[in-house]
Amino acid sequence: MKLKMAFLASTLAFMTVSGVAEAKPVKIGVALYGLKAEFMQLWAAAAKNSPEVKSGTAVVTVFDGRYDPLVQQGQFETMISQHYDAIIFAPIDADAGATAVESAHTANIPVIGTNTRANTDLLTSYVGSDDVRSGYLEAKAVLDKIGCKGNVVIIEGPIGISAQIQRSQGNQKALAECPTVKVLEMKTANWSRAEAQALMEDWLTRHPGKIDGVIGQNDEMALGAIEAIKGANLKVSDFAIGGIDGITDALLAVKAGEMTSILQDANAQAQGSLDVAIRQVVGDSYKPQSAIWQQYPNMPWAGGTAKSYNVPWTPVTPQNVDALLKMRQ
Amino acid sequence: MTTQRRYHYLHVALELLKSYGIITAFIVLCVVLSIVSDYFLELQNILNILRQTSINGILAIGMTFVILTRGIDLSVGSVAALAGIVAASFATTSSIAGMPGAPYWAVFATVIGILTGMVAGGLSGTVVSRFRVPPFVVTLGMLSIARGLTLLYSGGLPVPDLTPRFRWIGTGEFFRIPIPIFVLLGVFAVSWWVLGRTRFGRHVYATGGNPRAATTSGISVGRVRLLVYVISGGLAGLAGIILAARTGSGLPQAGISYELDAIAAVVIGGTSLSGGIGGVTGTLFGALIIGVMNNGLDLLGVDSNYQQIFKGLMIVGAVMLDSTRRADSH
Repeated sequence: MKLKMAFLASTLAFMTVSGVAEAKPVKIGVALYGLKAEFMQLWAAAAKNSPEVKSGTAVVTVFDGRYDPLVQQGQFETMISQHYDAIIFAPIDADAGATAVESAHTANIPVIGTNTRANTDLLTSYVGSDDVRSGYLEAKAVLDKIGCKGNVVIIEGPIGISAQIQRSQGNQKALAECPTVKVLEMKTANWSRAEAQALMEDWLTRHPGKIDGVIGQNDEMALGAIEAIKGANLKVSDFAIGGIDGITDALLAVKAGEMTSILQDANAQAQGSLDVAIRQVVGDSYKPQSAIWQQYPNMPWAGGTAKSYNVPWTPVTPQNVDALLKMRQ
Repeated sequence: MTTQRRYHYLHVALELLKSYGIITAFIVLCVVLSIVSDYFLELQNILNILRQTSINGILAIGMTFVILTRGIDLSVGSVAALAGIVAASFATTSSIAGMPGAPYWAVFATVIGILTGMVAGGLSGTVVSRFRVPPFVVTLGMLSIARGLTLLYSGGLPVPDLTPRFRWIGTGEFFRIPIPIFVLLGVFAVSWWVLGRTRFGRHVYATGGNPRAATTSGISVGRVRLLVYVISGGLAGLAGIILAARTGSGLPQAGISYELDAIAAVVIGGTSLSGGIGGVTGTLFGALIIGVMNNGLDLLGVDSNYQQIFKGLMIVGAVMLDSTRRADSH
């Protein structure tokens, strides 16, 4: 009898939930760490123009975390009190992010991580790209170009941010494969093109003629280094320069043969995490709507319940750069 | 007798340090760096320092006008980004990011950028002078408004592909000397003349020194207060244009927290935050000290975290020197 009641109740509950989900669009809050740089802007635009939103399955509200963990915490409180169905989260800080995830978990709201890591196992799923991998790939591209010998400099992201830590790990992994290569300098330019430019100018003075490669942990900083080299009347082609993210200016620089870059697919992260989030709310009847699941056969949908989806990196080459640039317009 | 003479020398040295403290500190820093680094005195390095200082120097000179009237302009970094991206949109060959009809003449784009800065400064100045809202609050608001407008205007994306003519403002050279250095020196010379040799300059000092006395002696304090923000905004616009021309793109995230370096340069340069005392010569050297220090620590391979600590110590030290100096004169 008791069992029967419980069964009835849960069936009823399930029917109401699925009924509601079909009648009203799924309300998804997207908490991004900050909207000042191009990558997160591309991410937000991809979410707003996604098939999930266009078909009316979901409504998406994007919150700008303004690079402040406290601001993100407040936005979580807002989303919880307004009963969002699911939250997609790119934390500015892995540990502070964990606290925010806990509060949503307590309120029974599924949280899908994306782009940056949170130090918690309460995330329902994670749809992002492995930054250790990108750090390895970009350093390897630079080291390959200089023939695994000579001197390099590394321009790091803001110290302590998960992308900086992981890309550094990847950088070091590639450097370990070329033990004769010397790292002349390693310093942060806080993701900033202008800061990296000044830093590189000073390094070119300190190590005249000795720098063979520049490992920039993002494209902005690699581009700053290129401007410094041009400003010092040196030939950019004499340097191997690598960046990460595939922002538009970097694609243009790859096209001009000035650097290498590795595209982080904002579109796949955004639409992938949206599909996973909607699946959590709607249930296993949900079919993913984004084309990215066809685009990346190595990232199977797996019923939408995998703990982690690893969005692959795409090295930008002279062969694919025109196609990638076209997608930006 | 010898003790007395020694005391005398010490006294003279102390006096010199107090009156020309900033220049003495600058020289000492340069001497030390030229001893410990072989590259410091190379022509290319000196040009690098001056070029890297130009943007902060221009912002700080504008800030000096404002601080001399007891005000503050926290919006210069955001206004620089806004003006930079607006100017860039007039000077780009990219069809996506540009204004219809772009690229226009570099001169036209530059003028538009500077005007953008002046309008932003004028709005802050109007609210400060007409509605008596504290400058700290008004320009804090403008910091946020200008950044929001920048992101709105650009859609958060950089404005690339600037014309070579426009980029010349940031990357060009004249007799091997980078153009931004000439711009900085030009701005300095004009500001020095305006503050030291014109009626408006005297009014700026009078407004900051004692606003009530200035009003009774027939100075339009409100007009002076408005104009200093217009100057600060216009120079922030100019700095933003150089920044865009130097990096090769109008960047929406440019100039974040630049106001702090500008204020630091003014304060290290000996201009008093309580108004009326100081000038652009000190500010120029204040900006140079920050530039030399950043460069020197890069050349020596010192961790960048120390840079911030040194800068902080220098700001507090400069204000301490300023307050002992004023205690002496009373």
